[in-house]
Amino acid sequence: MKLAELQRVSYPETIAGAIAILSDEKRQTVAVGGGITFAFTPPNNVEEMVCLRRLPLNYISKKGGAIHIGATTPISELVSSGVIKGYADGMIWDAARRIGSTLNRNLITVGGNLVQPFIWSDLSTVALALGAGIIIQDKNKRRELSAEEFFSRIPAKFLKPGSLVTEIIFPPFAKNARAAYEKFTLTEFDYAILKVAIVLIRTGKVCREITIVVGGATVLPQRVRAAEDILRGKKGVQILVNEASELASEELKLVRDIRCSEKYKRDLCRVQVRGILEKILLDQKVAEWKLF
Amino acid sequence: MEIVLTINGKERRVEVVGAETLLDLLRRLGYKSVKFGCGEGACGVCTVLMDGRPVNSCLILAVTAGGREIVTVDDLGTRDNPHLLQTAFVESGAVQCGFCTPGMILASKALLDRNASPTVDEIKQALDGNLCRCTGYVQIIEAVQLAARRIRAKKKTGTKRKKTAAKKPKTKKQKIT
Repeated sequence: MKLAELQRVSYPETIAGAIAILSDEKRQTVAVGGGITFAFTPPNNVEEMVCLRRLPLNYISKKGGAIHIGATTPISELVSSGVIKGYADGMIWDAARRIGSTLNRNLITVGGNLVQPFIWSDLSTVALALGAGIIIQDKNKRRELSAEEFFSRIPAKFLKPGSLVTEIIFPPFAKNARAAYEKFTLTEFDYAILKVAIVLIRTGKVCREITIVVGGATVLPQRVRAAEDILRGKKGVQILVNEASELASEELKLVRDIRCSEKYKRDLCRVQVRGILEKILLDQKVAEWKLF
Repeated sequence: MEIVLTINGKERRVEVVGAETLLDLLRRLGYKSVKFGCGEGACGVCTVLMDGRPVNSCLILAVTAGGREIVTVDDLGTRDNPHLLQTAFVESGAVQCGFCTPGMILASKALLDRNASPTVDEIKQALDGNLCRCTGYVQIIEAVQLAARRIRAKKKTGTKRKKTAAKKPKTKKQKIT
């Protein structure tokens, strides 16, 4: 029987209180946000569960153009937020509304989606593309890690027991920036086979800066730098877009997926990257998909 | 481990066994309207309202549900006095085998509680985690629309009655004095 050692579930109301319990080296403790992961795989040796839901970390705010989101904010609140919908061409909103179903989104928290990334996690892909910062609170200090650093390893493995992710900050979105997110699934709320997030800054038709991130290929999202490099500082033309999408597809690291072959995923990556670049760099109109 | 939670308005102090989910706990306590389907948050037959939001009870460890307010479909109406949503589901032919119905009704209730005039797309989105393998979804959407119309009408009548009721005592008092 799992959770056989569990003696206590606590509901701290302050961040310091939660960290104090989680830092106790004499006890095996675990922080619980939405708790879905633990319902699937209950931890075995845990003596105390620290439920984070009473912490003052359920918020979405805009400060000087940057978006601050508390770690215990449910995904459903991102979907209903006008602030989120109006930021970065709706990229975070687009990713959030396609995470699971309404019933799942009411449980999944922003912090949980970042700390426990799965191959199908969506927020990690857009966080990396938008250059987000992740705030980690320890017993004595508060530090900010760039999404690049945060997703260089599995966060749940490198975070120390007393460390708590408290907030994610999305930086101000430049006026001449464009962003788009594409997720390919077989059904409406299926796990993604592949997803691509691209953010670029343009001056006229010239691509000044670009970030291309592919998720769903491995557990952690990946930047495809060769594809970025070929476009950076150049005028956007179809031949270059085609070349960049080929490079992205070649550069991609993949793990085995029972649903499709490696070749299929690489082809999908090429098509997704090209489609987004045609839309946000070449300003081509993309036909809406209509089944009926 | 013992937890205290509110189920259908009643505070319950219950012993939770190991890694029992909220779904298992509710069924053990006799709330059989909460069904077991996929057990992995994909079908929605285990839907309950937790602090007013529809959630999959199969994805929640019961030990973490302490202090929560849980509502199952049993709390909505009785056979003699059904909820407007329950009547609408029956009248619209939105029930066939009935296995998904409690979840559908709770997810619909959560929607109508915050938006009494939902569009078809909003209804579809609210019910996107609740699967039905018998009826299809047309009658279910019609049922939610019918219930929404009745809830709006009831609210209007209720407001009118309140206004009339508020005026009457004043007249009486004036007569007395």
